[in-house]
This record gives sequence, C-alpha cells and structure tokens, in this order.
Amino acid sequence: MLKCREFAGAADRMLEGDMRLRERLAMRLHWLHCHICRRYLRQLRQLLRSVPFMHGPASDEEVAQVMQHLHRQEKSL
Amino acid sequence: MTTDNGPEENAAWLAQLKGGDQAAFSALVRRHHRALIALARAMVGENDAEEMVQRAWLKAYGAVASFEGRASLRTWLSRIVINEGRMWLRKQGREVSLESLPETVDPLAARFDQRGLWSAPPAPWHSDSPEGLLMTAQLADCLERLLTGMPGNQRALLEMRDTDGLPFDEICNLLGLSASNARVLLHRARARLFGLVDHYQETGEC
Repeated sequence: MLKCREFAGAADRMLEGDMRLRERLAMRLHWLHCHICRRYLRQLRQLLRSVPFMHGPASDEEVAQVMQHLHRQEKSL
Repeated sequence: MTTDNGPEENAAWLAQLKGGDQAAFSALVRRHHRALIALARAMVGENDAEEMVQRAWLKAYGAVASFEGRASLRTWLSRIVINEGRMWLRKQGREVSLESLPETVDPLAARFDQRGLWSAPPAPWHSDSPEGLLMTAQLADCLERLLTGMPGNQRALLEMRDTDGLPFDEICNLLGLSASNARVLLHRARARLFGLVDHYQETGEC
C-alpha cells in the first residue's frame, strides 16, 4: 500500500498520464482509502488548470508598446 | 496540462489575425504577452526578457499569416520565444543551461511525518473558476515573488509545460534535459506553487 508521501510525489505525473498500469492501480487503491490525498489530487488538478491564466492579460500600455515597436520596425524595413 | 485556446477558437477572429488585422493582433498581444515575458525571464533573465519578447512578436507578426493551427497560438508563440531565446544566448556566448539540480529537497517533504502520512494536510480551497484561483490581486504579488525566487530550471519547466502547454518531450529536447530530471524539476515547481496557494487559501496571506 502506498504512503501519502508517495501518492503526493507521483500525483502530478498521474495527471499527465505518465504512469504505468501497475503504478496507476496502486495510486487508485490509495486514493480510495485516503480522503486527504483525494483532496490533494482534486486541488492539484484545479491548480494545473489555473496555471495558464496566472500571468493575466497585458495592460493597454504594454500592448501599445509592443504594437508601436512593430510599426517602427515595419517602417524601417 | 493544456493551454486554453481562447479567442483563437473563433474562426472569424483567426481569419482576421492571419489577414493582418491590427486589432486582432493587439488582442493576441494582450492575451499572451505577460506569459511570454515570464517564459523569457526563465530563459535569459529579467534584464533581457522584454527585448527578446519584442523580437519574438516581430517574428510572429511576420509569420502569423502562415499559422496552421496544429498547436494552440500560445504554444506557437512560446516556440518562437524559445527559439529567439536560444539565439540570444548563443550570440552572447551563453548556453541554455538548466540541467543542474542543486536543490535536493522536495518542497512537499515537510508536510509528511516519518511514516509518510500527512502531518500538514492541504486545506480545503475555495475557488469557482480556474481564472479565479491564481488571479486575485493579493496573490499576484506573492506569485511573482515565488516565480522570481524559483530556480531557473524549475521555472522554465513550469512555464513551458503548464503555462504554455508545450509537449514534455519537446521541452526536454529544447532544454537539453533528461526526462527523469525534467519530471523532478516540474514536480518541485508544482509543489512550490501548490504550497503557496494552499497557504493563501488557508490564511488569506502569503
């Protein structure tokens, strides 16, 4: 039976689908018995879905700066 | 983990973008610029990141008409930034050197007792949407500090895999990392991020 430490150490790899069947079954068995690891896995999944949004959109000023630079480069070509 | 597709799911918007529409390109910049800056910082450091991303935008501007949609726009843009970064480092006689693994401790290690059971279990989180979890104003500064303080190799993996959605094998090739080292680095980066969000969710502070 896996320990919580082992489950948490491999959880992100499991979410990536980067795990052999035997190891996946051991993870599943632990998951069934441990409510804390179920919470950890659920929240880790939520976190990884959130990461693409973490930097947020650029400001008007940042966008204007990029576009001005592009137009200057375009004119100089 | 995949990157959301955002407005590029909209065929009409994509057609405008590929046709050279300025407003569509501005929308593209607005949506992805900060993430690309973060990726560049992980590769070349704070000082050169802005200029490198400007070069990448110029390349993207010239090439967007031929974007084929095989990957998401974020992934396509990230590849341009990574190529620019590699050229940038090569010109300066530097290499993309992210193989080193000086840190030996798993950031989660302190949360378990000697038997391997949780001694500091994660708190229940309260957030309704993926956007909401990491985008609160209070958390933004803490997140920035965490990323800035993260070893470059961990940060690069986190940005490329989880923010930009690049395939794992491609990242290993780009960074010259073995798959086993890359897995360790990515796990540690995610564990640090998890720790930050968990602490914030529990205490409202970070």
